Amino acid sequence: MAVKMTRRRFLQSTGCAAAVLPFANLVQADDSFVKYPYVSPGSMAGTQTVTGGICEMCFWRCQVIGKVRDGKLVKLEGNPKSIDNGKSLCARGNAGIKLLYDPDRLKYPLKNIGKRGAPKWKRISWDEALDECATRLKATIDKYGPQGITIFPHGSSAVYPMHFFEHVVGTPNNSEASFFQCRGARDLAYLATLGVPAGEEVDMPNAKVIFLLGSHLGENVHVSHLKRYLKGLENGAKLIVVDPRFSAAAAKADVWVKIKPGTDTAFLLAIMNYLAENEKYNVEYVDDNGDGFDDFCEGIAHASLSWAAKICDVPEAQIKQVADMLSADMPHVAIHPGRHTSWYGNDFQRERAMACLTGMLGAIGSVGGFVRPIGPKLGRFSWPTPMKEHAEEYSLRRLAKVHKFSPPGTPTDLIRNAALTGQPYPIKAMVTWGQNPIQTVPNQAQTIAMLEQMDFVLVCDVMPTDITMYADILLPEVSYLERYDYIKRGTQWDFAEEHQQYIAARMPLVAPETKDHERKDSVWITNELAKRMGYGEHIKAKSAEEMVDIMLAGAKPTLSLKQLRAEDGIHLQEGEDPYDVELDVVFYSEALEEAGYPPVPTYTEVPQPPAGYARLVYGRLPVHTFNRTQNNVWLHQESTLNPVWLNEQSAKKMGLKDGDMVELVNDQGVKSRTATVVKVTPGIRSDTVYMAHGYGSMNPALTVGVGAGVDDQSLISNPSIDPETGTHGMRNNFVRFIKDGKELSIPA
Amino acid sequence: MSQYGMIIDLNRCVGCHACSVACRAEWNVPVGKDSENRVRRRSWVERLGPTKTPKGLAYTYYPGLCNHCDKPSCVEVCPADTVSKTFTGKDGTTKTMDVAATWKDPFDGSVQIDKERCIGCGACAEACPYTARYMNEDGDEPKADKCTFCVERIALGGEPACVQTCLAGARIFGDVSDPDSAVSAYIKKGAVRLESAAVKLGPNVRYFGKERDLYLLDKTSTPQELAQINQRRLLMAHLSKKTSRHLQGMGLLGMAALWMKSKEQDSDRTE
Repeated sequence: MAVKMTRRRFLQSTGCAAAVLPFANLVQADDSFVKYPYVSPGSMAGTQTVTGGICEMCFWRCQVIGKVRDGKLVKLEGNPKSIDNGKSLCARGNAGIKLLYDPDRLKYPLKNIGKRGAPKWKRISWDEALDECATRLKATIDKYGPQGITIFPHGSSAVYPMHFFEHVVGTPNNSEASFFQCRGARDLAYLATLGVPAGEEVDMPNAKVIFLLGSHLGENVHVSHLKRYLKGLENGAKLIVVDPRFSAAAAKADVWVKIKPGTDTAFLLAIMNYLAENEKYNVEYVDDNGDGFDDFCEGIAHASLSWAAKICDVPEAQIKQVADMLSADMPHVAIHPGRHTSWYGNDFQRERAMACLTGMLGAIGSVGGFVRPIGPKLGRFSWPTPMKEHAEEYSLRRLAKVHKFSPPGTPTDLIRNAALTGQPYPIKAMVTWGQNPIQTVPNQAQTIAMLEQMDFVLVCDVMPTDITMYADILLPEVSYLERYDYIKRGTQWDFAEEHQQYIAARMPLVAPETKDHERKDSVWITNELAKRMGYGEHIKAKSAEEMVDIMLAGAKPTLSLKQLRAEDGIHLQEGEDPYDVELDVVFYSEALEEAGYPPVPTYTEVPQPPAGYARLVYGRLPVHTFNRTQNNVWLHQESTLNPVWLNEQSAKKMGLKDGDMVELVNDQGVKSRTATVVKVTPGIRSDTVYMAHGYGSMNPALTVGVGAGVDDQSLISNPSIDPETGTHGMRNNFVRFIKDGKELSIPA
Repeated sequence: MSQYGMIIDLNRCVGCHACSVACRAEWNVPVGKDSENRVRRRSWVERLGPTKTPKGLAYTYYPGLCNHCDKPSCVEVCPADTVSKTFTGKDGTTKTMDVAATWKDPFDGSVQIDKERCIGCGACAEACPYTARYMNEDGDEPKADKCTFCVERIALGGEPACVQTCLAGARIFGDVSDPDSAVSAYIKKGAVRLESAAVKLGPNVRYFGKERDLYLLDKTSTPQELAQINQRRLLMAHLSKKTSRHLQGMGLLGMAALWMKSKEQDSDRTE
């Protein structure tokens, strides 16, 4: 029997105290026929503004407000109170509501009664799902020890389960994509050289020269980061861009260095050698803060301009021009450490060279240089660590005595190899939380083999992805717009402005709809799992809200969610001088030498494409984050495919024209599952092809993104492992094209 | 009289597409294409290049929207019944004129559509050489839709959704008739209109940037001829405008007749 229930009656009947969040969606069945509105009401008419949102369409975490009408989020905008992103959001941030209301989202706990990779889903209850997860994870621990489990986490909601598995359960096999496929080599190289991780905190707004090596700002978009860059250009900074491709940043550059891929370290060494030989470096800073500079100079003395010119395929005069430009304006030079830096498997050395160059110019703590903005303090929150010590004994890195300058966690490849060989111990259960290792980790065939030998695979996510097809139990998580978790803090983006700090905690902008789903947040899920696995006594926060409040209570001065709500989601306070920093520069590293690595930055040759093949490089589009956003119908509309850039001379010889559909095949015989269009352009070297990352998902549950474009990761079957850090170099695969079933060689 | 206009500063723009997505969110613009194969959008970003130009290698963007032209070709062709409409300026002065379902505002110079009165014939969308209009066919009846310069937001003290979200400050909105406005400053600095010898409608969206970027933009995105509007449809438009005068007072009937005629014409065209 249908019971008619009005919105008012619903609210009365549930005695809903949390009425700040509208629940009108629950009563949609009450709606009668509504005439289609000819005029969309826009975001301003009849909406309620809800504050406290923190974006998670990428990891930058802009502060957002929501416009809510009838319980539905109709628009997201930047929080005008923000001193970070301000009122701006990028395309992805604006498209957040299409993730929230994506009909393809995971809705219920599911059990795979088919095969991994070809799932047949059966809806089950949370109790059944959690009981089964707990039983099977416990079985793994009983048989193989906690080191028999591996966790692949990503994103802010994965921190809580990650620490549960690491600290309480005691598995050391934790592989965060953000380290091993992204920024690990960078942060560790800066740590070894300057004593601090790099981050992206360079003072671009006030720089006289901005130096980008392989960073295509504008194609990767993080609002306050881009504001810094653009302000710098507006203020007259000269821009140097080193890239085999005429990127969005190269298009704004004063100097574009069309470098041969993989030779960046040679380029940097020649610059530094030239600066040293001609005393064009910052002698005062190096004398005061340099460590082992003479040995360093000796170690790079071979790196002449002509040596590098030949290796890099760049005119000698251009290398000299770049060096002179850097020198002329030192120390007001912003050498950007880059973001995704795992390229060739020699990346620690390249990043070491970047840090040394920064030191040689004295561009540390200087206006326009490498700075250390000081954010506000927060309280700590974590699981207790009864098993953490135990975990250290089973660190794969330690056992194999490799990657001694590795980030925390375990290099992905070591985990995969252990799982595949059973040595030094078997890994038989896998927990994936917000990460899609199929499209983040090179060599998909091996990743799939690893998954297939598991006794149990648990996946938790917001959306279906390629990894969710391999889950035994698949758990649905609420989205970032419906939950509490991350606390974003920082300073104003332009360091020349009044010094300010901010704290903003993620609060839900709408309550999770419950009409047609049973999504839960990661704290609830992890706690329920912990109880069932017998670790209930260690639970320190009963809810995500409580966890956030504990961290806020430890802020100085003390804060709470209640207070943040009263302050429109953002607490502002007086800041500190980001320029007030002097760092020692380890030019010649004895620590590295002792560990058996080159003590001065060293160029190591990378494999070159065989005849008929070009190197595959990949990058970003401003409308997508990794492979997470391709199913977003608005973002898909902006860029439906990832065209493969091909040099126009090569295209002519190959008989290809702009817009032709091609498939790709790599030098190890791996073919792309799908096809994409060719973009013919003079803006790329002939030995290189380029495409945006993240396309070509294989999961048919992604009704928008499935098969759109080509999955570049599927073609990266040769992960080159960085010896110091264990991060994956992903630009040492070579491809040619297939058109109408025929393989086409790419002329050099 | 004012004239709302927008400058797009390509030196600032990084081609991030936030403007077009914010517009979609603000105005609930559907995705995909309309039945005439026009992309359903009010605001867009097209990536141009990298390609060679006589001024050097260029890689830039065409962030586009309705130009709110001085002489809009879309307004002329609207076959809907005219009605007398009174407009009020900011200072309270009023002006009354006969308008069809789309018109150019006599006070702010923006081009607007009355969706209630739009008969969904698509003539205006066809007439725009910039493809700045599309047909929203998701509702009970098709309706023309396009950028309104977010006058609804401006009336409430806001700014256009695309301007608000632009992280680069690359979109500058204002009154081009005010010599002290930021848009006028850009015009003095040399911001250009996308116009050709054949298409001179006086667009009020202008572009500023490096020579090579403007060269590429002009080469790829400036319309070279006015759209070939279906002659029968144009004739219809003229006839119906005359007819409508006779039919004043019988508006509903006239609308119905026009609707049927346009439907008939549509089916002719598809056959």
